[in-house]
Amino acid sequence: MASTSPPSTSSPAAMSSTTTTATTATAKPCIKCRSNPGTLDSRGQLVCHICFQKFISQKCIKQIGLLNKDVRSSSSQSLSAYHLSQKNSGPPQASSRRYLLGLSLGASSAALLELLNENVEFQLSKGRNAPFELEVVHVSCAAGAGADGGGGGGGLEDDGKGRTTTEREKVEEVVLKRLGGRYPRFEFRVVYLEEVVGLETVDWEGLGLEDFAGSSSTSTTTKAEKLQQLFDNLPSTTSRTDLLRLFTRHLLIAEARKSHCHALLLGSSTTALAELTLSETAKGRGFSLPWQINDGVLGVPSFSPSSSPSPPSSPADAGKKTKMEETGMLVYHPLRDALRKELVTFTKLAGQPTPIAELLPETDSFTTTAAVVSHKDLSIDEVMVRYFAEVEENYPSIVANVARTTGKLMRLFGGAGVADGDGDEEGGGKAVGEDGSEDNDEERLCGLCSMPLDVLGDERWKGELGEDSYRDALVVDKGAKRMKQRICYGCERSIRG
Amino acid sequence: MAPALCAICKTERANIKRPKNHARVCKGCFLTLFEEEVHHTIVSSNLFYPGERVAIGASGGKDSTVLASVLKTLNERYNYGLELVLLSIDEGIKGYRDDSLETVKRNAVQYDMPLKIVGYDELYGWTMDQVVETIGKKGNCTYCGVFRRQALDRGAKMLDIKHVVTGHNADDVAETILMNLLRGDMGRLARSTNIVTGDDSSDVKRSKPLKYAYEKEIVMYAYHKKLDYFSTECIYSPEAFRGTARALIKQLERIRPSAILDILRSGEDMARLVPGESASSCGCKGKSKPPAATAAEDDGGIGGCGSNGAASGNEMAAMEKQLRENEAAEELEVDVSKLSLAGRAAESETDGAVPLKTNKNSKPVTRQTLGNCKRCGYMSSQEVCQACMLLEGLNKNRAQIQI
Repeated sequence: MASTSPPSTSSPAAMSSTTTTATTATAKPCIKCRSNPGTLDSRGQLVCHICFQKFISQKCIKQIGLLNKDVRSSSSQSLSAYHLSQKNSGPPQASSRRYLLGLSLGASSAALLELLNENVEFQLSKGRNAPFELEVVHVSCAAGAGADGGGGGGGLEDDGKGRTTTEREKVEEVVLKRLGGRYPRFEFRVVYLEEVVGLETVDWEGLGLEDFAGSSSTSTTTKAEKLQQLFDNLPSTTSRTDLLRLFTRHLLIAEARKSHCHALLLGSSTTALAELTLSETAKGRGFSLPWQINDGVLGVPSFSPSSSPSPPSSPADAGKKTKMEETGMLVYHPLRDALRKELVTFTKLAGQPTPIAELLPETDSFTTTAAVVSHKDLSIDEVMVRYFAEVEENYPSIVANVARTTGKLMRLFGGAGVADGDGDEEGGGKAVGEDGSEDNDEERLCGLCSMPLDVLGDERWKGELGEDSYRDALVVDKGAKRMKQRICYGCERSIRG
Repeated sequence: MAPALCAICKTERANIKRPKNHARVCKGCFLTLFEEEVHHTIVSSNLFYPGERVAIGASGGKDSTVLASVLKTLNERYNYGLELVLLSIDEGIKGYRDDSLETVKRNAVQYDMPLKIVGYDELYGWTMDQVVETIGKKGNCTYCGVFRRQALDRGAKMLDIKHVVTGHNADDVAETILMNLLRGDMGRLARSTNIVTGDDSSDVKRSKPLKYAYEKEIVMYAYHKKLDYFSTECIYSPEAFRGTARALIKQLERIRPSAILDILRSGEDMARLVPGESASSCGCKGKSKPPAATAAEDDGGIGGCGSNGAASGNEMAAMEKQLRENEAAEELEVDVSKLSLAGRAAESETDGAVPLKTNKNSKPVTRQTLGNCKRCGYMSSQEVCQACMLLEGLNKNRAQIQI
């Protein structure tokens, strides 16, 4: 289980001021190995660098172990979720697992990259096969101009129409090259955000963006322009950040499917999951939290443009149903048990010959703790990042507890289950099993965030809030009927404000 | 440029921007809209029945004053047929409560409603000032909250009334949802979203007709209606989880005004996802099951204090400690340092720090069952109710001081 690359004990200077208290003067021994001097404060314990890295590594390996098992068992059951998405190509060899890592170039996903590499090398050193193949994809978000937080920022220069390389992209290129050199075993790729335009996992028509649909052939420049326009027209920074996050996930899932991966791995730390819990709650997406926070199969919808001959077009409802096909993708967060500050420290310690942190971009342009510009321009996500950065400092277990308890919420489809009265929702709430793509007759996914729609909740909310509710503003809008229940409450908010 | 006209009546000048959705309306339309929205809440949740006697928990603050005013208006406009009574609790906080009670007394005259005042001293033998003198400022809100919940019920019983309405607004509910997320208390989160807590099976039913009303709109309503209310906040301060949740809510509202409602929506939906909780948030779904906890005990998870209502001063620190102990225990490692740490934590918790509610965070939600307190006979899910537990501690302290 140990990290194979002996961590460099020679870089106390690189230690973060957060987790670490450089008490080099008083050389108390590490509480775990009792031999090396303890130099880091890890959850109230004085430990040495090596034991700290082992600690983080074990947290990751535990999750990877679960994932490996999950993939093995589902592939023996023909891996239905995965299988469905592979219409043209034969099924993959069950023996070789293939994962896709979403790399934001922040500390957490970089730490995951290093840990996955350690894991592979360790297995190889034992004379075993590599436990999995890994593809690393970075989604370059330069086009999400004006959005902040969550790996956003940057932005196209005024004159830079389309695919002119921004400063940021140049930096990314260099960094990815460095990482590719460091981890030659893995494949690295960049995907540009504008590639989301035309992806059929988004219900562009439902969003009133007909010209985004089926434009896979459109040139990159046009896509970038379209996307820029969409972002410019969004009502707030929160909306922009929100869509940026959703589009990034769409792209990662698309890439994972394209390259026949069994699972998408995200570097989200405990802290990130806690942030997500609160920010999604604040954005009205409480219903989908069990899907967002937990590991497991996420439904992946496919919306085909209605111009294509759709089968027996009956009244609206049936018509809609035939339009959405669904498959699934396994999504895992192997660092869910590590705090962000721990991962930051980890990147400053781990990696040979230099710590990975030194390969990453300058932090100020990439991480989210930049100086406040104006409170109005903050996004909800950003507010939560700042908030949890503080809480994490003094109350790390509280942060961990948020993610853990949220994970206990049940996954309900379509809010169904209470429909047959008596509030006995357990019966209706279907757990997503290994073959989560089945049994989705009841289930309809949001055209934007791909999370299950909460039909029941929508109705009840409307009843409670009455005529002045947000949807009624839409009725006046256009084609409200069609609009309705094609995207979730939270996405509605992001698009319309 | 001509002044913008009201989006509703299109005749008057729009001199109000609604905090909730930034709609520009005139004063008259705003007041009507506000009342109609409360009316909608009342009707859609079936809050009252004709002839029902209802006690309004009145503190003299903006929320309960607006609640009293709106209920009076709606009761007359829509013939609810309610008999409305003002019920006030005198916590015994000099410079705060004595003044606000004067306000309530004036309200009673203005709204032509009977008023009942119940004091902590007569109920418990302690005023809040005395409590603070004994235990200090930290954590006193726990006492106040627990005492008030029972006090309202007892007051209602004295009046033979089975329904108490409180002025909790959308901000309060949103705050409670975030707070319980932070505490990892999903059971309480689920309950806090209910508009009604307690039902026919429990002695006194609680409801919050202003559940969907923004605090800012309540202030506006009070201002434009020229209501007589008392605007000083409680002199004992909020802390930890609630304080932190409140700060978050304010920040979120600034960024996106709908955020408060969006949090309510999330909270209601999440309540349906909590294993073992009953699903309905609106208490209108016919034969509802007995609620998981009683109004008296839990108040739907909303802090009893309209303006502050916080718990222990070191609530976050205490919870952090507890969680770490749990983690340590889970790891099943005999680890000297952890043991000593746990020991220290236990020590410091007994030495005068506030008795926290037991921490059920890492366990699945437990359903509470209703019984009666062995000491005071009041309904409680424990053998001894929270108020009696707290009193026991206080009385011990008092005895010690006297010695």
